[in-house]
Amino acid sequence: MNRREPPLAQAVNISKRFQKNTDFAERAAIALGAMSAPAVVHALDGVNLEIRRGEVVGLVGESGCGKSTLGRIIAGMLPATEGTVLRDGEDISTLKGRRRRALRLRTQIIFQDPMSSLNPRRRVGDIIGEAPRFHGLVDKAGQTKLVAELLETVGLQPEMAQRFPHQFSGGQRQRIGIARALAVNPDFLVCDESIAALDVSIQAQIINLFMELRQRLGLTLLFISHDLSVVQHISDRVVIMYLGRVVESAPVDRIFDHPNHPYTRALLDEIPRIDRRNRRFSTIRGEIPSPVNPPKGCHFHPRCPHAFDRCRVERPALRNVHDGHESACHLNDLPPQQQPPRRENTDETL
Amino acid sequence: MTLPLLEVENLQTHFATPAGLVKAVDGVSFTVASGEVLGLVGESGSGKSITGFSLLGLLDPPGEVVGGSVRFKGEDLLSLDATRKRQIRGNRIAMIFQDPMMTLNPVLSIGTQMMETVQAHANVSRSEARQRSRDALGKVGIPSPEERLDAYPHEFSGGMRQRVAIAIALLHGPDLIIADEPTTALDVTIQSQILAQVQQLCLELGMGLIWISHDLGVVAGLAHKVAVMYAGRIVEQGPVDQVLDHSRHPYTQGLIASTPMANRRGVPLHQIPGSAPSPLKRPEGCSFRPRCARATEACLVAPDISAHHGHEWRCFHPLGAET
Repeated sequence: MNRREPPLAQAVNISKRFQKNTDFAERAAIALGAMSAPAVVHALDGVNLEIRRGEVVGLVGESGCGKSTLGRIIAGMLPATEGTVLRDGEDISTLKGRRRRALRLRTQIIFQDPMSSLNPRRRVGDIIGEAPRFHGLVDKAGQTKLVAELLETVGLQPEMAQRFPHQFSGGQRQRIGIARALAVNPDFLVCDESIAALDVSIQAQIINLFMELRQRLGLTLLFISHDLSVVQHISDRVVIMYLGRVVESAPVDRIFDHPNHPYTRALLDEIPRIDRRNRRFSTIRGEIPSPVNPPKGCHFHPRCPHAFDRCRVERPALRNVHDGHESACHLNDLPPQQQPPRRENTDETL
Repeated sequence: MTLPLLEVENLQTHFATPAGLVKAVDGVSFTVASGEVLGLVGESGSGKSITGFSLLGLLDPPGEVVGGSVRFKGEDLLSLDATRKRQIRGNRIAMIFQDPMMTLNPVLSIGTQMMETVQAHANVSRSEARQRSRDALGKVGIPSPEERLDAYPHEFSGGMRQRVAIAIALLHGPDLIIADEPTTALDVTIQSQILAQVQQLCLELGMGLIWISHDLGVVAGLAHKVAVMYAGRIVEQGPVDQVLDHSRHPYTQGLIASTPMANRRGVPLHQIPGSAPSPLKRPEGCSFRPRCARATEACLVAPDISAHHGHEWRCFHPLGAET
C-alpha cells in the first residue's frame, strides 16, 4: 500500500458540545439571574482518530463516553462543534452539491435497533431499494434485481423483498439494515452497537456476516461497541474512549496483551469470559462522572488507583508508547521503577 | 444430605393467548442449596424470566402455573394462601429485577420505601427501621447512606439504583434471592462492582441465589451450577465446569462455540443455524431438533433426562464420552 495515501477517514481534533437551545424569554431570565444557564454536555473533547483503508477499527467505551457521537460525526450525520473530518483527505464540511452527495453515499451507518431504523409500513424491497433509486444508481427494473442480489448477499431469500419488517426476526432485521447500507456501494461502514440487541447465537451469525462482507467487498469498518470480546474478535485496531476522550489506541493483540492505560487494564479485567470460573470480582471504584461537569486533568483520575498530583491538573496527551500503540497517561512519564506493576491478564480465583 | 433450600419439580407455566397456548415453561426442575449460586441461562424467549416469576407467583394473566411443585424449605409455594405468600415474599425470598425502576417508586424517597419494607415484615419502630435501612445501603456500597435515604430514585445513577434495589432485597436477610438479569443494562465496570457485592454477600450470609442471565461469561464467573434453557425446557444442567467444559447437549455446545473468545480471534464463529422457534409453534419432540446437526428420527419424541454424577441433559445423541 502506498504510504502517502491519505487515510480513508480521519477525525482531527474533534470536539462536540450539546446545549439546549434557549428561546428569548429563557435568555432574558438567564440574564436577569432568574434561571441558570442550560448545562453543556461535553460529548467529545479534542478527539483524533485515523481509519486506514481496509481496516476494522473497534471503538470501545462505556455509556456516555461519546463513541456513538464520534461515529455519527465521522459518518457526516452530525456537525462537529470544533475540528474537521477528512474523507480521503478532503474536508467533508467544505464540499458542496453533487460531490458532497456522492461522498456521503460512500459512508453508511448501521444502527443498534433494527426495528426502529426500518419503516414498519414499507416493504423490505422498497426499504433497501429506495436510496439507490433516488440517487439514480439504478432504474425501476434494476431496483428489483439489485434488491434480490443484496438480500442474497446478506443471507436472506430474494422472495422476502415483498414482506414487511415485522415479519422478520431480530437477526433477519439486522441483515435488512445491512443490505440497505450496502445498496449504495459504500466503502466504509459505521456499525453503531449493531449486534448489541441480538441473542448470542444470532450475534455470531451477524459477526460472521460482517467479516465475510469485509473480505468480499473490501469494506472498511468502524465497529462501535461496549463489548470487548466482540471487538477483540473482529477488529484490527482498538480505540478506547473514556468520557469524551481517546485514552488508548493500539493493534488488537497489543492492547489485549499489553494494555497501558489504567482504565483499559480495568476494563480488560472485567470482561466476563466463559473460561473464567469462580472469579473473585474486584473492580475499579466509583462511577462514570457526568459529561456535564467532567473532572479536571485526566478524566479518569478520581477512579484511578495510581493517580498522583499531576493527573488532577494536567490533561495527559495521547502519545506513542510502543510501535503503533498510543496511550494518554502521565504514568508513562515516570521513571520505570516508579511505575505501578502491569498485571498481564491475571485471574484471581476464589 | 441436607434438604435443599428450593426444590422445583416439573414446573409448567402456560399463557393462554388469543393466538394459542404458549407453554412458556414446560417441565422445569432444579434445586438450589443454601449458599449456592445457580445460573439460569438462555436466549430471549427461552422462559428463564418466566421461571423466576413463577416461583414467586408474580405472573400476570393470562400467565398461569398449571403444574409442578415449588418447595421452599419443605413448604409448597404454589399452594400457599395470600397471607402466607406475603409473609415469605420480600422476607425469606427476594427478587431483583433487570430494571430497578420496576422495584422503586419514583415519587417516594428511598428511605420511605425501605422503611416500609422493613415494617411490612418486622414489628419495629420507625427509628429502628431507618437504622436497618441505612445499614443495608451501607452494605451494598452506597456512599453516605444516611443522607441518601432522603434522596429520590431519579437522583441516583443506574448502577446506584440497582444497588438500592439489592439493598431492599437484603433488608430481611433472605434465604434466597432471585435475580433477573440485574446487570444487563449496566456498564462493564459497574456490572463488576455489583457482581463483587452480590458474591461477597452470598459468601457472608449463606444465601441461595438464582442468577438469570443471557450472558454465559457472567454466569461462568459467578455460579456454582448452571442450567441452560431452550424453548421452555432446561436442556442441560450441572456443576459449572461440567456443563461448560464437557457440554453434552448440542445447544449448550453451540452457544459456547458462538461466543467470541480470545484464542479464536478472526476465525469465523460457530453458527447455530436458524433461530429459536416461535413459542406458538414449537417443533414436536426435541425443540432444538430443526437446528441440530445430530438430530435423527428418534428426536421426534421429546427426550427424557439422562444424568451422570449430578450432570443432566435432555438429548438422545449427547456429545462426548462418559467422564
